[in-house]
Amino acid sequence: MKNNIEKLIAEKLKREIETQTRRHFIKQCATGMGGIALGSIFMGCDPLTPSKTNSNLHTGFTERDLNPLATLSPPFAPRAKNVIYLHMAGAPSQLEMFDYKPELAKLNNQECPQSLLEGKKFAFIRGTPKLLGPQATFKQEGESGNWVSDNLPHFKKVVDEVAFLKAVHTDQFNHGPAQLFMHTGSPRLGRPSIGSWVTYGLGSENQNLPGFVVLTSGGKAPSAGKSVWGSGFLPSVYQGVQCRSKGDPVLYIEDPDGISRDLKKNTIKAINEINKKEYSKYADPEILARINQYEMAYRMQIAVPEVMNINNEPDYIKEMYGVEPGKESFANNCLLARKLVEDGVRFVQLFDWGWDAHGTDASTAVDLGLKNKCREIDRPMSALLLDLKQRGLLEDTLVVWGGEFGRTPMQENREGKTMGFKGRDHHGDAFTMWMAGGGIKKGASHGQTDAIGFSGVDGRVSVHDVHATILHLLGFDHEQFTFDFQGRPFRLTDVEGEVIHEILA
Amino acid sequence: MHVLKELLGRLHPLIVHLPIGFIIIGLILQVYDRKLKEHNKVISLIYLWAGYFAILACITGYLQYLGEGYSFDSVKLHLWSGIVTALFCFLMWAKLKDALKTTLISKTPLVVLSMLFFALISFTGHQGGNITHGEDYLVEPLPNSIKSALGYEVFEEKEIVLTDENWETAVLYTDVVQPILNNHCVSCHNPKKAKGELLLNTKEGILKSGENAPVIMANHPDKSDLFTRMELPKEDDKHMPPDGKTQPSKEAIKLIGVWIENGLSFDQTIGELGLEKSLFQSFFPKTTKTDYPGTAITAAVQDSIKKVKNIGLHLDPISESTNYLKVSALNFPGFTDTNFQTLKSIAPQIAILDLGGTQVTDAIIKDLATLPNLTILKIDNTDITGEHIDLLKSLEHLRSINLSNTNFKKENLDKLKGFTSLESVYLFNPSLEKTGTELLNEGRTIIEYGNYNLPPLKTDSIIY
Repeated sequence: MKNNIEKLIAEKLKREIETQTRRHFIKQCATGMGGIALGSIFMGCDPLTPSKTNSNLHTGFTERDLNPLATLSPPFAPRAKNVIYLHMAGAPSQLEMFDYKPELAKLNNQECPQSLLEGKKFAFIRGTPKLLGPQATFKQEGESGNWVSDNLPHFKKVVDEVAFLKAVHTDQFNHGPAQLFMHTGSPRLGRPSIGSWVTYGLGSENQNLPGFVVLTSGGKAPSAGKSVWGSGFLPSVYQGVQCRSKGDPVLYIEDPDGISRDLKKNTIKAINEINKKEYSKYADPEILARINQYEMAYRMQIAVPEVMNINNEPDYIKEMYGVEPGKESFANNCLLARKLVEDGVRFVQLFDWGWDAHGTDASTAVDLGLKNKCREIDRPMSALLLDLKQRGLLEDTLVVWGGEFGRTPMQENREGKTMGFKGRDHHGDAFTMWMAGGGIKKGASHGQTDAIGFSGVDGRVSVHDVHATILHLLGFDHEQFTFDFQGRPFRLTDVEGEVIHEILA
Repeated sequence: MHVLKELLGRLHPLIVHLPIGFIIIGLILQVYDRKLKEHNKVISLIYLWAGYFAILACITGYLQYLGEGYSFDSVKLHLWSGIVTALFCFLMWAKLKDALKTTLISKTPLVVLSMLFFALISFTGHQGGNITHGEDYLVEPLPNSIKSALGYEVFEEKEIVLTDENWETAVLYTDVVQPILNNHCVSCHNPKKAKGELLLNTKEGILKSGENAPVIMANHPDKSDLFTRMELPKEDDKHMPPDGKTQPSKEAIKLIGVWIENGLSFDQTIGELGLEKSLFQSFFPKTTKTDYPGTAITAAVQDSIKKVKNIGLHLDPISESTNYLKVSALNFPGFTDTNFQTLKSIAPQIAILDLGGTQVTDAIIKDLATLPNLTILKIDNTDITGEHIDLLKSLEHLRSINLSNTNFKKENLDKLKGFTSLESVYLFNPSLEKTGTELLNEGRTIIEYGNYNLPPLKTDSIIY
């Protein structure tokens, strides 16, 4: 008997030693000392300062360790607690939607002055392009008297709910980098997206749903790929979870044939026990992310199909949004966004693809395809605002609308040739975004562009300013909200960004 | 030589502690030795060395006074009492050695001299501390009432008050720049301290500059030390105000630059200078609404918080800067009226309560009326009919009630009259057969019936 126990102990020791091979040892000799020194510089394995979380003395885990989505209070009183971000991927034309330029109509088909082109880079425009007047009629709408084009007839009814930013600018003129910039604060890969920052900073209230959900429509994913909802250097548990509005909302969410839920539950429990042991050995936050993702996936199996099912909504709601059950559509996604926010999801990100109106064919012409795109979003986004409003959700939900940049007042002349359809090239100097909801001044309009809408002349705001404002509304000082990585604190707004007070209530 | 002088001067704070320590140990030994008087030899030796070091301290102290721009007025007491202390060391040495045979001192009892000595070293030390740490350093932690009773001036921060009405007629220097300098610079750059010989409390002082003249150059903020040194990163040695002092906001620094850029005007108004409103936006009164009452409250007891969390409710302080709590039943749809018991221990702290989608009934309303600081209440998606909703009138902070998707009865609408601070009521509920919004309570309260729709338009079906 005693012999057996000794054997077992010896076996255990042997197993432990086996995990340390000769190679491990030699490797550690080389890196061990440097590692000690670097440990204090690279703080990647310490996702949160201990002061922010309640340490559990019995297990040595903090609440945030075991549940990285456990909620935290923001440093300052927030005006919004959830965000719905509507991104029109491909960059919508502000000149056919919100930025009314009567002067541009008069200058239609005239050559663009050289002074505007000097030192500028365009994606496709070459030589001297011609100006292209607005391809829509505009009217001042609502009590605010803000301009909205006829492309958005339903939106006119909610125009008093939103605050426009008419002179946003970006320094990127290609979709991928510009989308990354718009969502991560940097045109290069590797930074966390806004939704990741927000869920990292605030956690998420609903235990059964992810804190950051992404829904796409328009047939294609954004050009920048999934990095626009990636977690960058933040623990990967904070990355966006992409849900589908067609078919299973999350892939492989159904139990496989012959596997009961109980068996699955026990399996996950066992796996997590092992993973917790691994964590206590290596303290790698990625292990915690994995533990949490197993548990989340299990809970999501019930909760997600329920929240992602729009069929249970009353007909008048479905009609208001114009949903098409069973299809992948922006309307479905808007209704889902409301349902998700209602259920406490922190950040909902919608991407709608198909706004790249170059005029290479009818579907990308500003007077044809663009009108179709406008129609596709007009009813759903107006319905979203009204629905949030009547449910009292607009009080603490921030809705942001925009693209990655705007479009040129000049007609695109790809390869220097005149094109058959009317289109506009990428343009980062001035474009329109709007925000609505928690803490936003209703009916405001900030910023102005020049007579032809080429550049902002007043109230220019940068992408960093937009980010600073979003974080401000959620209760953060964007300059203090940092994450230590590679030896220095990182911010969403890098070293720039100023809160746009003009649109705050 | 100059370097050596400066260095020695800076050693003063170190060296002064030698005579202080020596004198104290001497005095302590004197107490122990008061009966037998057999250690006079040792004690006198201690005082002799205390004297040597005191002289050294006097010399370094004088060098520091020369090097660091103190006015003579502010150091004179310390200087003279320091010299007296040094001389007193030798006097005590002589007294203990019995070297003073027939003078007045020899007749004075030793204990009197020792006490005088102790008083002197305390006084000198205190004066020195006042110079380095500021006269109010010791008084600072005291509450303001005691401070003013002791006759100390309470540091007056000047508030910058700009409003939508007066900002254009405000004088840029007097109403904006001067308060910024007063709040962040003058505590060191005043006639008493005059750090770097620079005075920032008056127009003359600013224009005269200090030892690094000129600190300011009209129209050229980039050549004005006053501005550039404020702009440096806080970690930089040359950054002003020094790390540890309260820092001006970046808007304030920007305005100092704008003031210099616009020619250092001391009397023109913001309107006359034609400056943009946005520059001053951050000094306008903040109208930020918070979702909790303005009065502070003590934190809820940890045990009570744990109890509330244990039954499945979600609970967090609304922000890190308040103790008011947000409680939500998002993860606890089974919450019933009886579960309210658990909330009683944190009742004063609850400002936001979300019981949406739970099993609560009209009976919970009278419990809710016992939450004195309730500001935002969500009881949407429940079976509430609004029968007792008027009980909530007693809640003076209640600003918003969400009753959407409830069984709210038409006949109870009147019960929403007479609320004092209620701003919004969400009553989206198709069975009420009402649409849009309605004002109540002299326009203070907006009732949101919702029921919106977007009627089909011809354009809905046109495909281009």
